[in-house]
Amino acid sequence: MEYNKREVLLEVNNLCIEFGRKKKNRFRAVDNVTFEIYKGETFGLVGESGSGKTTIGRAIMRLNETSKGDIIFKGHRINGKISKEMDKELTKEIQMIFQDPMASLNERAKVDYIVSEGLYNIKNYKNEKERKEKVENALLDVGLIPEFASRFPHEFSGGQRQRIGIARALVMEPEFIIADEPISALDVSIRAQVLNLLSNLQKKKGLTYLFIAHDLSVVRFISDRIGVIRKGKIVELAETEELFQHPLHPYTQGLLSAIPLPDPVKEKHKILKVYDPKCHDYDKDKPEWVEIGRNHFVLANKREQEQYKKVLKEFN
Amino acid sequence: MGIGNKKITKLAEGINESIKTDEALFDFEEYDDSLAERTGYSNYSYWRSTFYVFIKNRAALFFLIIMIALLVFTFIQPILPNQKSPTQIYIDPATNMQLRNHPPDSEFIFGTNSIGQDLWARIWSGTRTSLMIGLLVAIWQAIAGITIGALWGYVRSLDRFITEAYNVIDNIPTTIILILLTYIMRPSIGTLVFAMCITGWRGMALFVRNQIVIIRDREYNLASKCLGTPTRRIITRNLLPYLVSVIMLRMALAIPEAIGSEVFLTYIGLGLPISIPSLGNLINEGRVVMMVSSLRYQLIFPAIVISIITISFYVIGNVFADAADPRNHI
Amino acid sequence: MMEENVILSVKDLVVKFKLRGRILTAIRGISLDAYEGESLAIVGESGSGKSVFTKTFMGLLDKNGWVDFGSIEYKGKDITKYKTENDWIKIRGKEIAMVFQEPMTSLNPLKTIGKQVEETIILHQGLRGENARKAAVDILKDVGIPEPAKRYSQYPHEFSGGMRQRVVIAIAIACRPNILICDEPTTALDVTIQAQILELLKNLKRKYSLTIIYITHDLGVVANVADRIAVMYAGDVVEIGTCEEVFYNPQHPYTWALLSSLPQLGIKGKELYTIKGTPPNLFNEIKGDAFAPRNPRALKIDFIKKPPYFSVSPTHKVKTWLLDPRAPKVEPPESIKMLRSQWKVNNNGI
Repeated sequence: MEYNKREVLLEVNNLCIEFGRKKKNRFRAVDNVTFEIYKGETFGLVGESGSGKTTIGRAIMRLNETSKGDIIFKGHRINGKISKEMDKELTKEIQMIFQDPMASLNERAKVDYIVSEGLYNIKNYKNEKERKEKVENALLDVGLIPEFASRFPHEFSGGQRQRIGIARALVMEPEFIIADEPISALDVSIRAQVLNLLSNLQKKKGLTYLFIAHDLSVVRFISDRIGVIRKGKIVELAETEELFQHPLHPYTQGLLSAIPLPDPVKEKHKILKVYDPKCHDYDKDKPEWVEIGRNHFVLANKREQEQYKKVLKEFN
Repeated sequence: MGIGNKKITKLAEGINESIKTDEALFDFEEYDDSLAERTGYSNYSYWRSTFYVFIKNRAALFFLIIMIALLVFTFIQPILPNQKSPTQIYIDPATNMQLRNHPPDSEFIFGTNSIGQDLWARIWSGTRTSLMIGLLVAIWQAIAGITIGALWGYVRSLDRFITEAYNVIDNIPTTIILILLTYIMRPSIGTLVFAMCITGWRGMALFVRNQIVIIRDREYNLASKCLGTPTRRIITRNLLPYLVSVIMLRMALAIPEAIGSEVFLTYIGLGLPISIPSLGNLINEGRVVMMVSSLRYQLIFPAIVISIITISFYVIGNVFADAADPRNHI
Repeated sequence: MMEENVILSVKDLVVKFKLRGRILTAIRGISLDAYEGESLAIVGESGSGKSVFTKTFMGLLDKNGWVDFGSIEYKGKDITKYKTENDWIKIRGKEIAMVFQEPMTSLNPLKTIGKQVEETIILHQGLRGENARKAAVDILKDVGIPEPAKRYSQYPHEFSGGMRQRVVIAIAIACRPNILICDEPTTALDVTIQAQILELLKNLKRKYSLTIIYITHDLGVVANVADRIAVMYAGDVVEIGTCEEVFYNPQHPYTWALLSSLPQLGIKGKELYTIKGTPPNLFNEIKGDAFAPRNPRALKIDFIKKPPYFSVSPTHKVKTWLLDPRAPKVEPPESIKMLRSQWKVNNNGI
């Protein structure tokens, strides 16, 4: 796949996000993270809780402030201070889907208002009739019946509520959608519905997704490329199948070995790989973010880079 | 025997029939897509459930009825026949003297006070006045308290500033402010309302602010921010609707609180003039003659009215707040 | 397997709730046996009634719920007849213990974890003072808490999610129960911690000869730990069998849907198999098969009469009309067929 020819939609360069008011003791949630997202792809960002993946998503959405580094969307820097026109444009172009369908909808507002909220803000319609049409189309796109617009969120199930949340993001006609663990809070059989929906919408509307998750099996199904984050640092990035066939960083290997397989015989005989941070020796030889194979990046010091290069050579 | 046989054959036929129809039952049924979507829908209505939980509490229902009856009566009392004026001093036709301290009888249902005014009319007039004061103060508390509280809680840049201002103001005792104001301005309904409004918004503001701090970072508010919704609309459509029930509780309690303040001010001599009857005035007048057992009615009647109002609002307010909590909707 | 003792026997259990003035039937007639020393997994989504089902074993039903019909036999006694707290205290913790989903809310934030474990020991094992403390430290070691003597005096907020769950498990087994019920013990945890906790539970089961009942919606978790699986839908057990039977040879359309919708079995680029709609409203009386409205291959009889259990093997029972000899042959989805062929390969390999 010729990545040089593909259009870069979003770039994150050496991003650092710190929390805390004092000058000392600031908590570094995101530490020097760099990656790119190409137009039309689904980029999976995987990590455990506290890894910083949600913080990155919210920073791109401009809900969090960044401390260092750049977030560049379609060539323009979007973190830090931006003009009002750019703000308005970004509200349309980048949208977000949240994790908990029980908490992400305004209980006291009708579905009609919830889905139209963004439209009211950017005034992307000529008259009332057009607005209503847009809402109807958004609801149909996500597989809901337009008559649901006059109901309240509490009248729906978790899966339906999540779809209302997706409709809310879709109605803005964005180019880029950040999905922050959109299926973790849903039941197993509903997850499949929502995953299919997201997949179809991507094909139909040419969307680009940043899919944040902690469940590697889900990410494997829906992502083109995957980035693995641990404690604020990105440790590995590669195309999905490449990552699953040849995981280089020991943390990635640990994550992969922990995925539960729906195969009793295999599961019961599985040997668990546990990641020990002490396996690295970063005292003298500091780690860098380097490209080892084709579009396969790892966080490694010089010694580890040699090891990984050897491993990949054996497979090729 | 013949009948028994018939029964058995009928039974056998029945079984054969059901087996035959069973065969047809093993065909595929038509699959309706939308039926599957509809099974997720439930018919729950928040306000309807609140209403039912409220009604179930018999005490609250009782007090609600009493309160409504009291309110209705207070306002239609003047147009009922045979009502007397609250300020007119009645003269005993026999002695041509003021009908002072006349005990309750068929003409003066609650008796007269120490200068001969009809207590029954005075009490209802006083209740009207006091309720009006209480209502005005409660409404003002709601408007000012909610506005300040909402901005305080949601707009982070204002948080520090308003917190400091609040702490300063909070340290000045309410009583002193009330006394000062009524001393400076002429005592009247307006002055009293003004004084209580100046000091009363603080509780509501702090309460609203705390509630908003709790819910402002919930995902649906973040979603609104992502969609570009301006702050004022987030406050009015996302945050305040959640607080309606608790705000109404505080308003309900504000009314008896205002009446209590008014009674207190009258007690220390800074309330309404006697020419305007109010429950505070009446209680005060009654207090003066409390020691004389035959005149005690002058204290008892207004005290009963105040008690009814206070207890009713209190119970109704609390039960409503509980009923409005979705967790109690069983 | 057949000679094993039945430790808990549920017969025709019906549990109802009074909610907003209406009656909801959460459990609609379940009969189930748990054997001594096995790991039984109860799989179902939210609304299937699995949590309610296990709460009846410990008398933890909410105040507006009650057992309407049926019995639960434990050690010869019908525990559905227990009404007072005094009766339940003999069972809860001591005979049957439970581990809940959220480790953050299961622990008392104001007491040290050592004290919390110790309290259970004092209550149920009758030890006191120094003996109790030593026993508590031993259990903390058993569940894999590093430096147990030191961490004994720490508070819950000083532990990570996985560690807290270990403490909760320690409290549960401190009383040497016979049955341990784990209600979604790893759902709130990260994937790597989840794997470790499941290993821990397997080890504890061996060491203390426990019978473990897992409640979960995650089929991956189930494949790892379960001996037998009961699939629940809308308050009823629709399929029950050994772990291998249910994974490699499922017969109920709901089980097919549940398995096929796993992303692990999905093929990139193709849609995942899904079931449309949502579980039924349990306020209404359900006629026939509860899964029928969402089943694209439903038979007419599914809407009329509730199916009985059909036996696929001595250990494998399924409640579906599809297994009736009169029913047409229905092919399971692609991913299920894949699993089946996998099994044949594995079996031949072994």
